[in-house]
Amino acid sequence: MSFKRDKKEEEDSGGNPYQNLDKTIILQEARYFNQSPVNPRKCSLILTKILYLLNQGDQKFTTQEATEAFFATTKLFQSKDVMLRRMVYLCIKELSTLAQDVIIVTSSLTKDMTGKEDLYRAAAIRALCSITDSTMLQAIERYMKQAIVDKNPAVSSAALVSALHLSSTAPDLVRRWANEAQEAISSDNAMVSYHALGVVAGSKRNDKLSTVKLVTRLARAPLKSPYALCHLIRLAAQLVEDDDSDAAQPYIEFIECCLRHKSEMVIYEAAHAIVNLRKTARDLAPAVSVLQLFCGSSKASLRLAGARTLARLTAKHPTAVAACAVDLENLISDPNRSVATLAVTTLLATGAESSVDRLMKQISSFVSEISDEFKIVVVRAIRRLCTKFPRKHQSLAAFLAGMLRDEGGLEYKAAIADAIIALVEENAEAKETGLAHLCEFIEDCEHTALAVRILHLLGREGPKSRQPSRYIRFIYNRVILESGPVRAAAVSAVAQFGAQRPELLPNIRVLLARCQLDEEDEVRDRAIYYSAILDTGDQQLINDYIVNVPKPNPVLLEKALRDHLATTPDEPFNLLTVPAEEERKESKEAIVEIEVRKPVQMSIEEIYAEQLAVIPGIERLGPVFKTNTPVDLTEAETEYRVRLLKHVYARHVILQFECVNTLSDQLLEQVHVRLDVPPEYEIKSIVPCQKLAYDKPGSVFVIVEYPCAFLDSLGTFGATLEFVVRDCDPNTGIPDPGEGYADSYPLEEFEMGCSDQIRARAGSDDWEQTWERAANAPEASDTFVLSQNDINEAARAVCEHLGLPKAAVVGDAVKDIRGGGIFRGGAPVLVRARLAAAGGGVTMKLAARSPREDVAQLLLAAVG
Amino acid sequence: MGLLDKLSVWLGRGRAEVTVLVLGLDNSGKSTLLQALRPPDARAPPQHAAPTVGQTQEHFTSGGVAFSAWDVSGAPRHRALWERHYRRAHAVIFVVDSADHLRLVVAREELELLLAHPDMFGRRVPLLVFANKHDAPHALAPMQVAAALGLERITDKPWHICASCALSGAGLADGVAWLARQLRDAHLPHAHT
Repeated sequence: MSFKRDKKEEEDSGGNPYQNLDKTIILQEARYFNQSPVNPRKCSLILTKILYLLNQGDQKFTTQEATEAFFATTKLFQSKDVMLRRMVYLCIKELSTLAQDVIIVTSSLTKDMTGKEDLYRAAAIRALCSITDSTMLQAIERYMKQAIVDKNPAVSSAALVSALHLSSTAPDLVRRWANEAQEAISSDNAMVSYHALGVVAGSKRNDKLSTVKLVTRLARAPLKSPYALCHLIRLAAQLVEDDDSDAAQPYIEFIECCLRHKSEMVIYEAAHAIVNLRKTARDLAPAVSVLQLFCGSSKASLRLAGARTLARLTAKHPTAVAACAVDLENLISDPNRSVATLAVTTLLATGAESSVDRLMKQISSFVSEISDEFKIVVVRAIRRLCTKFPRKHQSLAAFLAGMLRDEGGLEYKAAIADAIIALVEENAEAKETGLAHLCEFIEDCEHTALAVRILHLLGREGPKSRQPSRYIRFIYNRVILESGPVRAAAVSAVAQFGAQRPELLPNIRVLLARCQLDEEDEVRDRAIYYSAILDTGDQQLINDYIVNVPKPNPVLLEKALRDHLATTPDEPFNLLTVPAEEERKESKEAIVEIEVRKPVQMSIEEIYAEQLAVIPGIERLGPVFKTNTPVDLTEAETEYRVRLLKHVYARHVILQFECVNTLSDQLLEQVHVRLDVPPEYEIKSIVPCQKLAYDKPGSVFVIVEYPCAFLDSLGTFGATLEFVVRDCDPNTGIPDPGEGYADSYPLEEFEMGCSDQIRARAGSDDWEQTWERAANAPEASDTFVLSQNDINEAARAVCEHLGLPKAAVVGDAVKDIRGGGIFRGGAPVLVRARLAAAGGGVTMKLAARSPREDVAQLLLAAVG
Repeated sequence: MGLLDKLSVWLGRGRAEVTVLVLGLDNSGKSTLLQALRPPDARAPPQHAAPTVGQTQEHFTSGGVAFSAWDVSGAPRHRALWERHYRRAHAVIFVVDSADHLRLVVAREELELLLAHPDMFGRRVPLLVFANKHDAPHALAPMQVAAALGLERITDKPWHICASCALSGAGLADGVAWLARQLRDAHLPHAHT
């Protein structure tokens, strides 16, 4: 009772003593550091305040203020108080990125780091590494090497972790400490051993052979430290993933052997690694049984680990997980809600249709008690259920709608909206109910981004429904009640209805007319724009500008506009030259990978735009039309590896030869490419690669102008790599004195085909009409006999030649390929091909329509 | 020395250490000199001193005065940092390599900048100049160094030059004793009356 009261009082009176700190006052106080003798207690307090402010981040220090504070702090080195000194180290570390001239404490820190006081040494090393730049590193190298092999584990660990941090800025230097780190791996201290392994493995990250050696050696003589062992398992798993052959067998054996280790951490890491490897369900059995044991453990963390890994595994091997159903059932009533959630969702994913209702009931009993993160897990599970059991959509949608009404953050709400959107798109029966739920949701949605997305969806799906007018009321409510961006989105959605449902057009006109009086510019602009287009009554115009609007890739569009302003601001900008946004690839989600490794999705054009920027005069070529996927011009395991990228522009092509020198004892200089171009092509300029060091990719760029006639643009290029070789020291990369010798290296030939120059896409639903509309455009057609025997194979080959995706093929016995695209320079083209098997061969009738007849002919020539 | 002993007890207890700046061009011998001034038991084993980066801090006692010495790097890129210490310095030790004829002008220029700095100008801060490495061949005599540095023109500060050899420690005690005397005089003018 009394304890309770104390606690309450504490809460009342306590609060944060560092609240309401003011930056200027503290900087004033920091001047106190200059006084002597130093008062350690008072100075520690001031340092604490500075640290608090720095970490709070709402009152940012300017460079000058930080430098002032930093120099004042350095004065405290004259005090011998241990606690104060350690505070000084912390402060130096925090200020090191903000202040100038931080290197002035280098000598003070080296003194502490090599001194007798053990309490100073580890912290001094960490502070030292945070203040040194790469130029000063040489000076402290000797001390670092000593510290790494120091017998004090704290010092050794500090040095190793610092080395790990430094390896991002000065990898070469840290690589030289590998011998010392190697020695530290066998340390008795668990942490030192782990950190040392981290440094050694990090320094060999790019060198597969020595990583293999390292793992093999350490796997044979097992490490004592469980942390280090976990890291080793990860390294081994990485090796197995890179190499599927039998050579990886010893690593798999090693990992499986770790399943019997006495430390739970190691067991889990091994099980996790096995589950992650792409293997069959049978190989997983030992790992799964370990996870199953974890589920029954008395420790909550182990239960969570087991349930979580099993949950992730369901997507890949549902059958393997199904065996654990009993254990998971037990976890449903687990006091830890996170564990219970994972158990339920896993069971949902593996269970039969009959058990869905029961499990859903279980979830709803505790859904309000779990955190957003796990609610998202539940939502994802339900979303998968929708796909798996379409018949259950009624109850699932109702459940999702219920969750949508609950409190929750944007991410959670977005996940639910995603799930409903997916439901609407996949299941025609669920469309009406799903849309109704979404309509209800936007009535009371505080997240602008989400509201805009849902409005867009309503605009797309609403007009196709049975009673479109229902949705218009919801959408128009937004126009009256919401903020600017939402109103603008609502206007666009309303316009969609007008464009697709002629019977509603008069009403829509009235609504748009009202929107023209809006106070927000964007809303007015859109309303006027859409009214004007709808008023024309031109079906083609409406289709192109309201219903089927191409969406250019925003990043490239921005770049193209900037280039356009820089070079030819007076000419009109052609939107067609910007690549359209690619259809989102089948979302792999986290299901396939059990670990969440999400690469940032970037289109290939975005990745290379930066590299191309080095070419002088690149902006004169205009925006990049298309970058083709790279082609290898050498065998995989050769001295020099060369990949070719074709960056296609309206009138030119930039050939980027991405070269990698795999010989550590050679340095290549003045690398360029001698090109044999087909007739009519003209080489404009070559940007050689001045220096190609070992394992550092470099690129040679060749700008080639296309022939005037499109038809001449098909051809074969020959290429030879030419360079000057200089022998060098494999360790330092410093070339031997003296002249090098010239050498050349033949590359494989490559083609410039039709698919390289066209941005194609598969025909959509309304392809038939588009084709008809283009009837008066010039057409080229011909009949071919294809060499392939199998009609599927033939269809695939044709698609490849034309650059069309596989989705363009429809039909079974008679294959129909339909597609369209834009040729470089902006000419649209439509193509249709009919393939039929006829007496052992395949015949094809190919027709192409384009306003530019030569483009249509080129398409035919590409196949012929 | 009864009076002095009493004085030092009184000084040691009542007054804190005196802050003294040790300045000079790179490779003039500042760190070695301070190393030689440390009490024998705290002295690190003799080794070739590495160039100081930034600053280090030493404590030593002489003539009853406790010194807290700031050894500031003399490398060209770090010389700009000297001025950060001027304000709180009670005394300055300027170390010159008397065998480095060529760079004497540089030392003179730096010294002039130091004396003209707002934080230094007009303050009665004792200036002790060590003509270091006097055992080296071709070393200049202290008087020649004084002339080369233009010390005779200094009017606002007491100054003193003495030859020294930081490696052997010769001459250091004399110089520091002068400094201690100056500081005592400055802070306790009544002690002599």
